[in-house]
Amino acid sequence: MVLVRRASGLALLAILLTAPFAAGAKLTHEYDLKAAFLFHFAQFVQWPPEALPDKNTPLTIGILGEDPFGKSLDEIVANESVGGHKLLVRRFQRVSQADSCHILFISSSEKSRLDQVLSVVNRRSILTVGETKDFAQRSGMIGFVVAEKRLRLAINLAAANAARLTISSKLLRQSEIVGPVRVQE
Amino acid sequence: MKTPRTTIGRKLVTAMMLTSTAVLILAGIVFVAHDYTSSRRAMVQALVTRAHILAANSTAALAFQNPEDATQVLHALGTDPTMIGAALYDSHGQLFATFPARAKPGTVPAAPMATGHHFERSLLAISEPVVETGQRLGTIYLESDLRELNQRLHADAIVLLLSVFGSIAVAFALASWLQRGIAHPILALADVARTVSESKDYSVRSRTVGDDEVGILSEAFDQMLGEIQRREREVRLLNADLERRVNERTAELEASNKELEAFSYSVSHDLRAPLRHVDGFVELLTKHASSILDEKARDYLTKISAAAKRMGALIDDLLVFSRMGRTEMRKTSVNLASMTADVIQELRDDAKGRLVEWKLGELPTVQGDPSMLRLVLVNLLANALKYSGPTKEARIEVDARAQNGEVVVSVRDNGVGFDPAYTHKLFGVFQRLHGSNEFEGTGIGLANVRRIVSRHGGKTWAEGALHEGATFYFSLPR
Repeated sequence: MVLVRRASGLALLAILLTAPFAAGAKLTHEYDLKAAFLFHFAQFVQWPPEALPDKNTPLTIGILGEDPFGKSLDEIVANESVGGHKLLVRRFQRVSQADSCHILFISSSEKSRLDQVLSVVNRRSILTVGETKDFAQRSGMIGFVVAEKRLRLAINLAAANAARLTISSKLLRQSEIVGPVRVQE
Repeated sequence: MKTPRTTIGRKLVTAMMLTSTAVLILAGIVFVAHDYTSSRRAMVQALVTRAHILAANSTAALAFQNPEDATQVLHALGTDPTMIGAALYDSHGQLFATFPARAKPGTVPAAPMATGHHFERSLLAISEPVVETGQRLGTIYLESDLRELNQRLHADAIVLLLSVFGSIAVAFALASWLQRGIAHPILALADVARTVSESKDYSVRSRTVGDDEVGILSEAFDQMLGEIQRREREVRLLNADLERRVNERTAELEASNKELEAFSYSVSHDLRAPLRHVDGFVELLTKHASSILDEKARDYLTKISAAAKRMGALIDDLLVFSRMGRTEMRKTSVNLASMTADVIQELRDDAKGRLVEWKLGELPTVQGDPSMLRLVLVNLLANALKYSGPTKEARIEVDARAQNGEVVVSVRDNGVGFDPAYTHKLFGVFQRLHGSNEFEGTGIGLANVRRIVSRHGGKTWAEGALHEGATFYFSLPR
């Protein structure tokens, strides 16, 4: 954040002209944005008390598989806290390691194992975020969708409810609610 | 007593009106000012609250880069006609969403302003941070016109104006009614004072009762009137008494004066008969016995005869003098110039063989008794002639001048004069400054002059010094 702020003076005009993100700078810019979104999810989602028993428990953002963010997520999260919980970024290679985090970004590299991964993770109060196609429809909770050159969100509310996660209506308003109703049962 | 230019009632009403109007306007201004400032504060508060609500609703839109949603949130402002504009800025200070949705550039600031509010000429602008769970996500900016504030001020002014006019009317009615209690006793008192001063009737009483200063004043006034009435009665009684006593005294004085004059007249008259006998028999004796009498005896008889003649002259003069005090005056116009010329003509015999220069100034015509005034002139001119006897070239001047509404006649001679120390004795009966062997005379002439002049309402006085002549004056009213 500090770096971003420092750059903002010069970057302001450039960003204005290229908003929301230009095709040329797509890769880097897209993942900066996604990293920021990951951080903001912490603000708009409420975990059950046992997931965050006390203030000392850090709010962990996990990345499963290949990390597409580079340094940007670490930079955004550095020294930040949400509701008194420090933010922490951890990277996992196997799903079995990821059971202690609160937000789990499932990288595109896990595409083939997605159903298996989700079936493991969704039993816990972990907000699953992914960017693969129909992520939310496939029982992921929040999927990044790029439409009309903009980054949008698809939310599987049923999956989140099942994991006892409360997603703020403010966040829901920004998103498309997807997912088969029958999964809820 | 002059009529007052204004009434105390009007003054009281004016004072009360001015006071109440001033107080009312002051209170009204304070009220409006307070209402205005508190309205401004309330307006700022309301706008800040609105900003907080909008900010809370746009956090997610800012966090997840959804300007459409933010625009929609701001769009809700459209229901309020006082909202001019609004803007959301993201955490980079970049314009994120505006109201109206397609705001022209410049209607809202391109970059967020510092948190707080400021009033401009016709708008209020506020800027508040957009925060979600302690994280600053951006800034919201709201701009409202001052329509409500101005409408409120307008309404306040109308209410103030109406209440001021209404209160003035009520105050006027109240003041007019209240002043009666104060003004009426004073007016009643003023009426009494006017009656007293115009008709000099001290029996009037104000009889105003009151528990205030006017009551005390009126009571004191009544007491004062009573005192004046009492004093006036006393003064009148005293005056009457005084007048009665003066009349009594005057009558007494007149009686004793008459008595005295009658006495002196009868004495003089009665003295003449024996004196004539003395004189007659001395004369007979002289004729009859002059041959047998020696020189010495004849000389004695001559001296007795002279003394008797002199006494006769004295008695005659005394009779004239007493007559002057008693005879009625017959006033007519008297030409002093021709009268003086006549007298001088008569006196020429006495001045035979002497060198006398007569000098006459312009003498006027006066009102008086001719025979009395003639006696005055005779006495004064004869005196002048007599006492200038020793002077080789005698000069006698008669002149007149007007002074203080009187005619002052002067007779000046260059004779022996007199010692000014004895001026006061000059006009007394039988008072003589020179011996009778030196100048003959009875010493009654100037006493006559003074008596005649004073009966004409004038005065007599003299100036002179030994061997330097004398000037006698008498004045007559015009």
